[in-house]
Amino acid sequence: MSDQNLQSDVSRRSVLKGAAAGAGVVAAGGFLAAGAGAGAASAAGKAVSLGSNQSDPAARKSDAAWVAAATKAGFDVKLNTVDHNTFQNQINSYLQGTPDDVFTWFAGYRMQFFASKGLATDISDVWSKIGKNFTKGYKTASTGLDGKQYFVPTTWYPWAVMYRKSVFKAAGVDPSSIITWADFIAACKVFKSKGLTPIALGDKGGWEAMGTFDLVNMRTNGYKFHVDLMGGRASWGDARVQKTFKNWESMFPYQNTNTLDLEWSDAAQLVLQKKAAMQVMGAFHASIYTDAADLADLALFPFPEINKANRRDAVDAPIDGYMLSKGASKNLANAKALATFIASTDYANAVLSVAPTALFANSNMPASDNAFVRQQVDLVKSSKYIAQFLDRDTRPDFAGPIVGPAIQSFLKNPGDKAKIATNLSKQWDALPPA
Amino acid sequence: MSTTRTDLTTAAGAKAPRRRRRRSNFTKKDRAVLFGLVGLPTVLHVLFVWVPAILTVFLSFTFWDGIGGVKNIHWAGFQNYHQIFTLYDAFPKALRNNALWLGFFAFVPTPLGILLAYFIDKNLKGSKFYQTAFYLPMVLSLAVTGIVWDYVFRTNGLVNSLLGNTNSETAISWFGDPHKNIWVVLGIASWRHIGYVMLLYLAGMKAVDPSLHEAAGIDGASDWYTFRRVVFPSLRPVNVIIIVVTVIDSLRAFDLVFIINRGRNGLELLGVLVYENIFGESSRIGWGAALATMLFLMSIIPIMVYLYQTFRADD
Repeated sequence: MSDQNLQSDVSRRSVLKGAAAGAGVVAAGGFLAAGAGAGAASAAGKAVSLGSNQSDPAARKSDAAWVAAATKAGFDVKLNTVDHNTFQNQINSYLQGTPDDVFTWFAGYRMQFFASKGLATDISDVWSKIGKNFTKGYKTASTGLDGKQYFVPTTWYPWAVMYRKSVFKAAGVDPSSIITWADFIAACKVFKSKGLTPIALGDKGGWEAMGTFDLVNMRTNGYKFHVDLMGGRASWGDARVQKTFKNWESMFPYQNTNTLDLEWSDAAQLVLQKKAAMQVMGAFHASIYTDAADLADLALFPFPEINKANRRDAVDAPIDGYMLSKGASKNLANAKALATFIASTDYANAVLSVAPTALFANSNMPASDNAFVRQQVDLVKSSKYIAQFLDRDTRPDFAGPIVGPAIQSFLKNPGDKAKIATNLSKQWDALPPA
Repeated sequence: MSTTRTDLTTAAGAKAPRRRRRRSNFTKKDRAVLFGLVGLPTVLHVLFVWVPAILTVFLSFTFWDGIGGVKNIHWAGFQNYHQIFTLYDAFPKALRNNALWLGFFAFVPTPLGILLAYFIDKNLKGSKFYQTAFYLPMVLSLAVTGIVWDYVFRTNGLVNSLLGNTNSETAISWFGDPHKNIWVVLGIASWRHIGYVMLLYLAGMKAVDPSLHEAAGIDGASDWYTFRRVVFPSLRPVNVIIIVVTVIDSLRAFDLVFIINRGRNGLELLGVLVYENIFGESSRIGWGAALATMLFLMSIIPIMVYLYQTFRADD
């Protein structure tokens, strides 16, 4: 279990990095972190404090790289890295206390929530300058409920079906032929007959299977329903949710049975070890592939089509980035200047130099020559709609403590799906007004 | 505490002491010392224990997401309680698990701890070693305990290796199966609790007047009979402590299950539910406070009743 359990509610992106750090991170999960600051910054530099949840070694390296670039560009960045789990859990009190000027966060409702609570600084004027660096989708993802921008997107990753090319080849399954649900189930049957687990799923943390829920739901009912459901404009008691659960259930015969016993990385290991054929996961699935040859064998295909009307037109592709805290108002000019820097290719190139598989929101970045990265870009380019992720698109007090356990009980007792959905809708109605 | 306070007020200038007392008054220095040793801790205690506790009870009748000041706290009446009882799936499970924990602790590790204390007190060969060995788990924090036992019971851990099946598909899932995991966890918690109970009893037994032993021996009582009829009853103060500790430990159980799977899937406990709702990105302070209030009442009422009866009998 080691570190991953301690971080089970951490965002996928960081878990992946935590996993890469391997065991023994427990001790490192401590509170504060060293300020790997800008070194001997010039006194004349534009001073900005930066709160970061990028606490594991790989992530620290990328922070250090771009902070160094920022220093060169005339900033005096005071980097304050906090253990990821702690950062997430204390975000409320952090933002209400004396937060850093700029801090790491996620796009989606999770961003809008803090913006609407008045804990973030409006950076619409920054967007009028940096807007040209991003496609319209990113601007939408950075916009609060009041129509103003509060977020600078940096990197992202899509959710899809991850697999090893060699496993598909050995079983004689052509991944490019898997378009419809029938194709998908047929492929599952082939793998099962070869003694493999067709689909690996781990949902011990309660968030991992939300990715599969999102995809099945968007394929079944369309992107708009996903948005309505997350926003509370559609009810969890809706018959369409039942359809989603029903379609999802048809995957269960091809899935490992001990889903609640495995972390996402345990399930990913099954794919890596060629015991399982596929995993529906974020692209950070790749982070457990330490061997270059294994990594070259990794590929993905879009989640199959369920309802012809929706094709494969939507994908979960969560975006990470930065926000300006309320406290930044005391240092507004410098904080906004740093936000502008983060939106530049100087930032992205600095990160790229230490994280070659990172995917950037900035449209001025050249295309990567890594095949797996290119697949991710193509996947998102071919998708009409981009969703974030269940726990980034809906109320935080609903996603984690309520939907998480509900999906776990669905995995355990799929027969209870009607009861589970009714309870979800009642619990939504019982939420205090946001 | 209360007697001390009456002492203080009467001594500090009450005109007619109701009770006879040996000291008629305190010097200034005495009063300063008393204030430092009694008054100050009392003030701190009230400030940091009772005030937050009462505020928690107040918050349990409100809606609040933890953001913004008092103006963002909205009155909810009994809604939080009502919804917890009617809607919250995890609540009955947590209640059941806490009750199970309490029952299990009362009937398994506590008697076992007493038994161990009885044997070790007989000065068997190597009793010092056993004493240390049994107490050792108590030195580890439950968080560490959780990690250690995870290696024993995880799918590809020690137990499954010994059973010869570590296949992640078919091996026994000790922590993942909601019908098994609570028992595994209770076993782990007992492993720790036994040593604690043993040590408390051992300390108590060392203090028992040896002449009681001798008198019983002369009367022809067996060792076990002496223990049951003579030593054990004279250990009443220790029993009080054990009962209080058992109730409190069972109700506040948290860290072990939190380490294993954040208290889900069969391992729900009230303490975890409080934490999950109050901390983290998703603050439902009122909801969590309502759970905390119920937990507080559950732990304090039985203990107060018990202590009251015990000490009244002593008077």
